[in-house]
Amino acid sequence: MPESIVTIMDVAIGGLLLGGIYALIAMGLSLQYGVARVLNISHGEFIMLGAFSTFTLYTVVGINPLICLAIVGPIAFIIGFLLQRTLFTQLRTSAPNPGAFEASSLLATFGLMYVIQGIALQIWGADYRAYTYLNFGVDLGGAIFSANKLVILGFAIGIGVAFYIFLARTHMGKGIRSAAQDPTTASLMGVNINRVLALCFGFGAAMAGLAGVLYSMRIPLNPAMGLQYTLIAIIIIVLGGLGSIPGAFIGGLILGIIGEIVTYIDPSLSLAAYYFIFMLLLLVRPKGIFGK
Amino acid sequence: MWKKIRKYIIPLSICLILISTAVAGCAEEEPAPAPAPAPSPAPEPEPEPAPAPEPEPEPEPAGPTKNSIVIGASRPLSGPNAPIGDAAFGPIMQMWQERVNAEGGIYVEEYGKKLPVEYIIYDDATDVGTMVRLTEKLILEDEVDILFSACGTAFISAQAPVANKYGMVLLTAEGGATIMRDALYGLPYVFISLPFSDHYQLPVFAEMAAAKGAKTAYIITIADLHGVEYGGVAAIEFPKYGIEVIANKSVPITYTDFSLLVKDAKAADPDLFCVFAYPPIIMPVTGEMMAIGFNPPAVLMGPGANFGFYGISFGGDPMTINGVTCFAAANEKTSPEFAQLYADLEALVGWPNLDWWGHPYYAPLVQIWQEAIEVTGTLDQDVLRDYIASNQFDTILGNTYFEMFGEFGGGLMVKDTHPGEIGQWQDGTVEIVGGGDWPGVVLTSDWVYPKPDWPTP
Repeated sequence: MPESIVTIMDVAIGGLLLGGIYALIAMGLSLQYGVARVLNISHGEFIMLGAFSTFTLYTVVGINPLICLAIVGPIAFIIGFLLQRTLFTQLRTSAPNPGAFEASSLLATFGLMYVIQGIALQIWGADYRAYTYLNFGVDLGGAIFSANKLVILGFAIGIGVAFYIFLARTHMGKGIRSAAQDPTTASLMGVNINRVLALCFGFGAAMAGLAGVLYSMRIPLNPAMGLQYTLIAIIIIVLGGLGSIPGAFIGGLILGIIGEIVTYIDPSLSLAAYYFIFMLLLLVRPKGIFGK
Repeated sequence: MWKKIRKYIIPLSICLILISTAVAGCAEEEPAPAPAPAPSPAPEPEPEPAPAPEPEPEPEPAGPTKNSIVIGASRPLSGPNAPIGDAAFGPIMQMWQERVNAEGGIYVEEYGKKLPVEYIIYDDATDVGTMVRLTEKLILEDEVDILFSACGTAFISAQAPVANKYGMVLLTAEGGATIMRDALYGLPYVFISLPFSDHYQLPVFAEMAAAKGAKTAYIITIADLHGVEYGGVAAIEFPKYGIEVIANKSVPITYTDFSLLVKDAKAADPDLFCVFAYPPIIMPVTGEMMAIGFNPPAVLMGPGANFGFYGISFGGDPMTINGVTCFAAANEKTSPEFAQLYADLEALVGWPNLDWWGHPYYAPLVQIWQEAIEVTGTLDQDVLRDYIASNQFDTILGNTYFEMFGEFGGGLMVKDTHPGEIGQWQDGTVEIVGGGDWPGVVLTSDWVYPKPDWPTP
């Protein structure tokens, strides 16, 4: 295969991998902010918890990281669900208006971030943790990729698409979409709004946890790793359009691919490129790609 | 049910958090003598070793009373630097405190008794601004007797002028840079201990590599002070030995996918592949090299590859990274004293937290502090500063002293104290394979060049 094609494949698959992970993270945050109106600053901590849980389950108990998806996802969902039904429902019902709720919930998630980090520090300590899984090369027409990268890419895209189908085709998904558009009208139409909001927060936490499970195969872990992913997720949900799940998915993929192209040109500019896109979008299309 | 949960669980959780935070944050504080204003001129280092402290069995109680020596430190207990702080100077601090207090404390003549060591340690959350504020709080509000180092080159660069401004002696731990050395002329209270880039790690490495026939180097650096420092020095030192730097690429610390960079390096086919970055970068780079089979003759990584945790991050077996070169000074084979140090540290914090670059220099720091206090019999910062500046110490490194910078400057631990500069993972541990041409260098193995292949998956 010509070298230029190999390079394009390298950039495309690398970008899709990053984008797939970003998409999962951003879809979760988009659910939490777009529907539940909680800008969850502790979102990245669920990625960290998912990653550390996988590390422990794999290195101590010997459970395959891909099976960990089936363990970590539901547990993260339950934690998110309970947080919404307790902490954020309390804040929402006691807030005088939606604006006050968004402000108080933002502060609460800041606190939650430090609490979760503190718990992780107590359990796993401050040391870096890492493991290897499927860390060998796979030759795709002359381009060599690590196997775990391809597996992560496949699962990330698969989970994202499956979740989109769930939202688009199921009764529960319709409820979530209606609550995202207009929670008051949705509740008048018979949607149990408290349950839907809790489901959204639960699904958001689960998506972050799943992203953590997948990405733990490739990155070293430490309790402070979460915040950088929260910041990237915020950029993506603005890029895709606040509250838009397809927007978050597409936005994640776009950001991943752009990041990889910029890295190919000059790696020192990769982070700057994200913020440049963010600022450019705020100027040109403040409502985002899929925003209405 | 939700009403009950809201009613009981939320208040209960808040109470638990508040209680745990309060317990963790509590620390007794003792007043200390105020820092003196200015140092006396620094005398030249003298070759004679310092006189041994003479304990006085029945001292007369006189002057001010005091119950402990309060040592303050702003450390990264959380945030990105926490793993480094946890494994580097942190264990030395803990081990020294336990040993000193088990012996009843350090004898301080001006108080006429042995005083136990007490720490006030704040979490700077790996934020330079927070660290500077906490350092000022330790000095001005807590009035600590001794200030211990922050963690990281950028951090000690910011802490040094603060300590100097208030006349607090600062023996730095994790970090060092050429720009700090240049600043020492105006920082009389600051003493740098850890070897760094051109002092004399990269010159030694370049000479070793040239002797093996290396001609080209591909360099990746982290986009911060450390990366700029090492990338810049390598670009100066490598060509001196006929090694061409064919790429010198900088990456932000937040970057996570190194496939393209590693593939670019593989395509360039360098003799030396250097990654001057922290564990969040060197660990995935190593994993990617293994995955795509990139195995250049020499791989130099750090900081991070000098810790035990790096060795067990690729399947749990440190044999997987045999051949990786790192910055390192000593190991348990260097001397019986180092064998004891590493045995004690392993018992305290475990093998993954052993550090073959930093621990050999952090252990002498507390020895220097202890001797200075015992011999001078005071906690007065000016007296202590002058003693440290003008004496030689018998530490685990042997004869240890600082080269002073100008009449009113600070100090840099002399190169003659360095038992080694370069290490290499061999048979599951770090061997010391490169050092300077001065007496006192102890190499524990030969450098393996080219490095062995990565293990087959």
